[in-house]
Amino acid sequence: MTPDDLTYTAEHEWVRDLGDGVVQFGITDHAQDALGDIVFVTLPKVGVTLTAGEPCGEVESTKSVSEVYAPVSGEVLRCNEAVETAPETLNSDPYGAGWLVELRVDGALPKLMAASEYEGLISAN
Amino acid sequence: MDPSSAPRLSPLNDRHLTLGAKMGDFGGWLMPIEYSGTIAEHTAVRERVGLFDVSHMGKVRIHGPQSAQFLNSVLTNDLNRIGPGQAQYTMLCDGDGGVIDDLLVYRWADDEVFCIPNASNAGRVVELLRSLAPESVVVVDHHLDHGIIAVQGPASADLLDAMGLPTGHDYMSMVSADLDGTPVIVARSGYTGELGYELVVPVQLIDQLWADLLMLARPLGGLPAGLGARDTLRLEMGYPLHGHELSAEISPVQARLSWAVGWDKPTFEGREALVVERAAGPARVLRGLKATQRGIPRADLPVLRDGDIVGITTSGTFSPTLREGIALALLSPAVQEGDVVQIDVRGRLLEAVVVKPPFVAPTTRA
Repeated sequence: MTPDDLTYTAEHEWVRDLGDGVVQFGITDHAQDALGDIVFVTLPKVGVTLTAGEPCGEVESTKSVSEVYAPVSGEVLRCNEAVETAPETLNSDPYGAGWLVELRVDGALPKLMAASEYEGLISAN
Repeated sequence: MDPSSAPRLSPLNDRHLTLGAKMGDFGGWLMPIEYSGTIAEHTAVRERVGLFDVSHMGKVRIHGPQSAQFLNSVLTNDLNRIGPGQAQYTMLCDGDGGVIDDLLVYRWADDEVFCIPNASNAGRVVELLRSLAPESVVVVDHHLDHGIIAVQGPASADLLDAMGLPTGHDYMSMVSADLDGTPVIVARSGYTGELGYELVVPVQLIDQLWADLLMLARPLGGLPAGLGARDTLRLEMGYPLHGHELSAEISPVQARLSWAVGWDKPTFEGREALVVERAAGPARVLRGLKATQRGIPRADLPVLRDGDIVGITTSGTFSPTLREGIALALLSPAVQEGDVVQIDVRGRLLEAVVVKPPFVAPTTRA
């Protein structure tokens, strides 16, 4: 269920290393399941610099609003415009077509949780 | 009830857990918020049929000589507008015209009436009715010994027919039916804007009834539906929810529920204050807002017009039917239908147009 090739944050974001200092991130399957039907997504603008741990967007379901936190610091290279028009993609394919942002990482890639560690976190809650 | 105590469980709690429902606290009760997903459940109700457990709602029997007359001297609506076997939407106000609760009243006879108050207000309603009732009138609290299943959607009559329950009666009327030798109430009413029924049944029958209804609903494309869908459905209709569109601070005049007030009655709780407010004109008016940009309004957000704050939202959501943001808001009387306003959604201004609810046409009488 939790892909092994990704790393994770305590705020329920996943990070995919695309190489050359570029990462992609999105929200986890656990996060989309907890939110319910996702109907609106707000993403940062291309070119802005995000700071790890700071809010950079919002994901809204029929019942609630949840902030998206930048999992790492860096410059926004690309946002997934397709999820703005089809937010339900975050429910159906959170680790694939439901990706949110691609960043050029500032410095070295910080150490995040491995899949097994993240699964331990969500099963403890 | 004491907010620190554990939430009450529905008599259908085990069914909800088996169905994998996400449960949440509502009015002191642990109730299903969603099963398969709010949008799928909403759509099932609009297009086919949905089953809701609304056992958290209160149930109060008022009986004895002149029960109807007593209630008519307390509640806002004129109970003499309806006859035996009919249901009415009404309110219980305080002396200032604030709304203690809004409720449904089933009038069976002059000496036999049944009320459905909201979960969190049921205790207060029972207490108040008891304190005001003359000696001949008995107020019995059935909150915990009865449950309610709402069957809502265009296929709801087919479902009840298959179950052998009566469906031929008019909107806002009810009949008593026999279920395994026990009387149950089949009211044609609901909170969704669809053709629908609410079944008030003793708790010992409700588990089997839910299982039977769900089994018959599946081939009709029906789904169990949670309070998430109940909220999006009622908001599309512009129906008020106590604590949001009605409260001690929000009167029936402000909420545009004057139609549910018997202004010609000599007495009801809050009459004096409401007559004064109605004559002077309300300081704020409940209206609908429809977002004209992508975005979702929520409750308690400031509403602006030409840079000035002109009100506040009371409820807001994504409308699954319209696929756009909708809200109800208390606005200055200077704001009119058709006006363009901005909703301050956490610092971002969302443009909306002021409209008259419902946002989606109801089919309750179809």
